[in-house]
Amino acid sequence: MSTQDKVKINKLPTGVPGLDEIVGGGLPEFSFNIIAGAPGSGKTTLAHQFVFANASPERPALYFTVLGESAIKMLRYQQQYSFFDPAKLPESIRFINLSQVVLTKDLGAVLEEITKEVEKANPAVVVVDSFRTMVRKPESDMDLQSFIQRLALFLASWQATTFLIGEYAEDELRDNPIFTVADGLLWLRQTAERNSIVRKLQVIKLRGQDSVPGLHTFRITDAGVQAFSRTFGLTARKRNPPSDRRLCFGIPELDKMLDGGVREGDSVLVAGSSGTGKSVLATQFIAEGISHGEPGIVAVFEERPEAYAERATSLGLDLETPQKDGKLTILYLRPLDLSVDETMQSILDAVQKIGAKRLVIDSLAGFEMALSPGFRADFRESLYRMIFALTGIGVTILSTVEVDESFTEFPFSTYSISFLTDDIIRLRYVSIDGQLRKIMVVIKMRGGNHAKDIREYEITSKGVVILGKRLTNFQGLISGVPVHSDRSDLKEEPAQESRIGSKG
Amino acid sequence: MRDLAHRLLAYEVSAGKTAEPTASATLRVYEKLRQSLSGVAGVAAFESLAFRALTQAKSEAPSLWPVQIAGDGSLQGLGELKPQIDMDKDLADKFPCGDGGIVLIARLLGLLLMFLGEAITLRLLRNAWPREAFDDRNSEHGRKA
Repeated sequence: MSTQDKVKINKLPTGVPGLDEIVGGGLPEFSFNIIAGAPGSGKTTLAHQFVFANASPERPALYFTVLGESAIKMLRYQQQYSFFDPAKLPESIRFINLSQVVLTKDLGAVLEEITKEVEKANPAVVVVDSFRTMVRKPESDMDLQSFIQRLALFLASWQATTFLIGEYAEDELRDNPIFTVADGLLWLRQTAERNSIVRKLQVIKLRGQDSVPGLHTFRITDAGVQAFSRTFGLTARKRNPPSDRRLCFGIPELDKMLDGGVREGDSVLVAGSSGTGKSVLATQFIAEGISHGEPGIVAVFEERPEAYAERATSLGLDLETPQKDGKLTILYLRPLDLSVDETMQSILDAVQKIGAKRLVIDSLAGFEMALSPGFRADFRESLYRMIFALTGIGVTILSTVEVDESFTEFPFSTYSISFLTDDIIRLRYVSIDGQLRKIMVVIKMRGGNHAKDIREYEITSKGVVILGKRLTNFQGLISGVPVHSDRSDLKEEPAQESRIGSKG
Repeated sequence: MRDLAHRLLAYEVSAGKTAEPTASATLRVYEKLRQSLSGVAGVAAFESLAFRALTQAKSEAPSLWPVQIAGDGSLQGLGELKPQIDMDKDLADKFPCGDGGIVLIARLLGLLLMFLGEAITLRLLRNAWPREAFDDRNSEHGRKA
């Protein structure tokens, strides 16, 4: 069958930020959906968002309440959300309480009542909240299944997109015949992890849609439900082909060590202990990009944006003007109880808003600490997804990470996240001639040459400045406690730059 | 609320252009509110609010004692109201059956405002009386709802 012959299924906006991406671009028109989850998981709010996003005077929404929340209470509480538009009442949205019918009659009468109202209003959207409370006797499960089957058939023919809302526990998901009737099944869950509540939603099934599998974090705020796709909404975007373009730090000697700079679209890790100049290097990276017309984002977790910009000024770098010009955004992300996906969505929004080409995350330790404890377990996985998504569209990411200074080891990161990075620059202290000095080395550059030199550097009023030539008269520099080699006649040799390279 | 109730009753009297008894004007206001709220939130929602409003109003206006709320939210027994001693003198000619009706409507409006808020209440009123101007409280020059 050609594309032309296929029936076109319209996709309706869910009204829930982030959810359209998760369900594959919107919910199929005329679909019969079940929103399931425990009490308080946000089912009613999600349904309301869909209703307010899609109801119109010509094709209104009918919201049937059963034995749960009364319509008055529902209106009272739901109007607290910003999506609630009283102007839609009553022409576009009507609430109908079925409790009397449910209490005094059988499911057949309930179906009859719904049928009557639907035929009268010709609605585009029908919600039954909560359909499970219709069954008051355990032996009525079969009746409920039959009721749902008939309701689904009827509403489909009336061209209504339907939601049944039901309270279900986790273990009821399997082998429930009711779910087979539905075109779509959205499962909302919330769990307590330490002192935080973690909310996740899952599209268990959605006929005819390319939904994003897996558990997606969501949050309920004054704006209602907001979902954060595991793929951060970037699944539809094609990955850019690998670029040969190099992005400089503006530190000539370092750029030489990197064979001209970091490759565009790479993820760079700058690792070092406290005071080694990781943030200075990151600031220079961003400032250099801006000077070449490349907008940048700096996500800071350990200091406020003003302090960050002031420190840059002390290095002779102006971060104020590009902020005013919309070329730079310094994000301060340190709220409590933030989910990792929500934090990353903030970064992504900022990146997309100004078309950023360079992103600095300063630092990964601060990032992790800003998250609520329940989300820290997801940190590495989410970070991987974000880095993969952003680098895929050509954004170059520089992350700083603090490592414990050891004089017996040379760790790149305490997070075991080296696999996330294409390039690693290691900064560390060394003890030389009774002084605590600093050295820098490029550990790896994926797919490119780089110098293997160990170079000494200082942090001056101009930022990171690499000193002299490579150090050749010491052994064991990376141990932090080097010893003078026997080659005392040859203190320094010319830097190799990137002529001795390694791949991968 | 009393001012607004008075205004709605006066509107219904003038709209009818007849010297109908209070019960008739009160019933028309009540019915319009019933239709309006039932249309948005269902009959059961209106019936529960109306029952509460009537209970409150009865303590203030004993003339309402014979009045009942039916299962569909409609008002029964209002036609049997007798004039009250505390009747508003200005309304005496227009509303010979006293202010029990005003009290009931005022209580109902008060509950609507309390439970649904100003925006939705105004929406319901505008829906019921499309030709009347109901300004919100924040309107500096408008009449207060």
